[in-house]
Amino acid sequence: MGGCFRAALSGAVLAWMLLPGMPARAQELTMAVGAPVTSLDPHYHQLSPNTAVAQMIFSGLTATDGHARIVPDLAESWRAVDATTWEFRLRPGVRFHNGSDFTAEDVAFTFQRVPNVPNSPSSYAIYTRPIREVQVVDAHTLRLKTAAPYPLMPTDLVSVMILDAETHAKATTEGFNAGPMAVGTGPFRMVSHRNGDRILFERNEGYFGTPPAWQRVTYRMITNDAARTAALLAGDVAFIDQVPTSDLAKLRGDARVALSEITGLRLIYLALDHARREASPFVADNEGKPLPRNPLQDVRVRRALSMAIDRGAIVERVMEGAAIPAGQFLPEGSFSYVSDLAPTPYDPEGAKRLLAEAGFPQGFRITLHGPNDRYPNDARIIQAIGQMWSRAGVRTAVEAQPWTTFIARAGKQEFSIFLQGWGSSSGEGSNPLRNLTATPDREKGYGASNRGRYSNPEVDRLLGEAMQELDDAKREALLQAATRVAFEDVGILPLHIQKNVWAMRKGLAHGPRADELTRAQDIRPAGATR
Amino acid sequence: MSSTAAGSPLARPQAAAVETPLRRFISEFAESRLALFGLGLFLLIVAAALLAPWIAPQNPYDLAQLDIMDGRLEPGSRNGADTFIYWLGTDDQGRDMLSGILYGLRISLSVGAGSAILACLVGASLGMLAAYAGGRTDGLIMRLVDLQLSFPAILAALMILAFLGKGILNVVIALVVVEWAYYARTVRGTALVERRREYIEAAQCLALPTRRIIFRHLLPNCLPPLIVVGTMQVARAIALEATLSFLGLGVPITEPSLGLLIANGYEYMLSGKYWISFYPGIALLVTIVSINLVGDQLRDVLNPRLKK
Repeated sequence: MGGCFRAALSGAVLAWMLLPGMPARAQELTMAVGAPVTSLDPHYHQLSPNTAVAQMIFSGLTATDGHARIVPDLAESWRAVDATTWEFRLRPGVRFHNGSDFTAEDVAFTFQRVPNVPNSPSSYAIYTRPIREVQVVDAHTLRLKTAAPYPLMPTDLVSVMILDAETHAKATTEGFNAGPMAVGTGPFRMVSHRNGDRILFERNEGYFGTPPAWQRVTYRMITNDAARTAALLAGDVAFIDQVPTSDLAKLRGDARVALSEITGLRLIYLALDHARREASPFVADNEGKPLPRNPLQDVRVRRALSMAIDRGAIVERVMEGAAIPAGQFLPEGSFSYVSDLAPTPYDPEGAKRLLAEAGFPQGFRITLHGPNDRYPNDARIIQAIGQMWSRAGVRTAVEAQPWTTFIARAGKQEFSIFLQGWGSSSGEGSNPLRNLTATPDREKGYGASNRGRYSNPEVDRLLGEAMQELDDAKREALLQAATRVAFEDVGILPLHIQKNVWAMRKGLAHGPRADELTRAQDIRPAGATR
Repeated sequence: MSSTAAGSPLARPQAAAVETPLRRFISEFAESRLALFGLGLFLLIVAAALLAPWIAPQNPYDLAQLDIMDGRLEPGSRNGADTFIYWLGTDDQGRDMLSGILYGLRISLSVGAGSAILACLVGASLGMLAAYAGGRTDGLIMRLVDLQLSFPAILAALMILAFLGKGILNVVIALVVVEWAYYARTVRGTALVERRREYIEAAQCLALPTRRIIFRHLLPNCLPPLIVVGTMQVARAIALEATLSFLGLGVPITEPSLGLLIANGYEYMLSGKYWISFYPGIALLVTIVSINLVGDQLRDVLNPRLKK
């Protein structure tokens, strides 16, 4: 095995040295991502860019492959001992970047820290909440007791990056961002971090998994789409994510560039203000006066707004085909996908009728908010929806702002209706149901990203039952039922599911990920895989 | 000033009776063909901007009139409803570029003129005060001016907008804050010279109120350089507004000014859809050049040192 590997490696190195035009310092990779990393604290802010970087520095007990299937990571194996006990066998001989040993105590410490990170904008506590008790059986065996049967334990633990009990005993979020605390068991160690600009990584020579192909990685954040593509074409960076759809046609025809793509798990949707019974801040009558009651509380209005959106046009014209119209959280083929829940067809006349029925024959005024630097074409999508709604009689103003401002305001329920995206990294329905449509509940850690404060007892009940069900088939049926209720009630307004597209210089190979994480360990010289 | 109005009655007997400073100014201004051309161009642009709602085929700020299915059409394409032609093409939202440019000019010109006038009011008043009061007041105001001018304009504007948030009004405020210092410095320089003249001494001897001396006697004589600075600053303000909008800090995305139109098309430059950025860019360029042509000639005419 070892010799075989060595032979393959030296063969690869040889092939690679013989390849013409390879950069001299081929062990270095400069890559650019489109969304800024907001924190290096792996338990602070649930956000794909943060997760991607966290998975480069840290490891979880479990992980997912490119198709969002669960695979071992720091845990070698796991099993349900009884209905309320999970046992994890940990990988021996793993060390943190600073040489500290990884043991079951570190896992116990991590689970304690997760719910206690101050000021977390979207907490990871949702993943550790079911754990009632952590039993350290020996240094490499761990038992997790839950109050009720909890089928999603291995899925949930993908998101919990393991920290070191000694190193991180007093770690603060600032300590991670500044660098000294960014110590994990992952394939890369962090060298330096300039907030919002770049992170430098070095290979962790002691990594327990497949060693990454790169000695040094420069992880740049270039939020401007055109600048990112231009940087790739100019050779400033060798790899980019979030390829601007406007450049897809051009890049496909460029001999210097290769693309990798996969249908993603990210739903782009509109969240609606369900919290206010009375006036919602950005809804007004046609004279601009606040409405006495919030029309978004009326399911007919929500349905009308959904019918007034031409999803096909957005996918075709704005997304340039790099998306599929959505009627639910996940794409076909996923666990808990509902086969007969189709995207709402475009029907502007029907929308007008429904609005009239709901008491708004002349429509009303609304402001649609969204970010302008987070999701592909985010600002264009909300403008296009503004057009469609305006034509259906709902006069729409559109306001796009930088993600950091936007998400802070959205979290404080300052908007009436706003564009969001949710990557269901687990690839099954309980994740978006718990985060986006479950009644917000700090205690249970539900509804952490339910910024419109949607609340439906029926959804909560079905989800609650599903979360107790260890039988996969029964659980899937319950999740499907909950999904159906949430979407027939238009708890959120689904738009489309993105395809994830990356572009790289020829000579590189990339394993695309449905969860859209852009990680340096997934990129290799093309020669190495040949 | 009044003494110079006396021309030579023998040389131009007919004109002598009607020769006024204004007429002389006009005839001197008209000496430059280029300046006249610039003025004509500028008036044309102003007219186009004013008449935009009547001459534009579409209201580009009304989302209901846009159609995403008409997005990124080439110049000369017919619109989906077959009612008019997109002479300059459309942007990614299906916005007619010609209409977008005409409406964008309205924003650019009104922001440019509005901020220049406001900055002029603030700057001139402070500059005048500094010159007239002298001493500590002068020191304080002029150090403030120095401080202001030591920041690059774009940086200062960015900071102000980051603090105030987006919106046309906030852009105007930012531009005023960035620009008042130029007026203050110019006016102070002129006023320092003027206030030692005899007519000011005379006014002071008459014990006229300070306010009256400043605004009725001093200010009118400081106007010529102020007009020149003002013209140049309008052009500068327009360029700054375009820059801020290009960076996404200026106007709302549904009401694009020229800068935002250029920014919208910038991403498509690589894929050969040049018209989205190109035409608004030309419009911006022509506007600024025309104002600068006029400004240059104004400077030549109003600057006594350049008098032949």
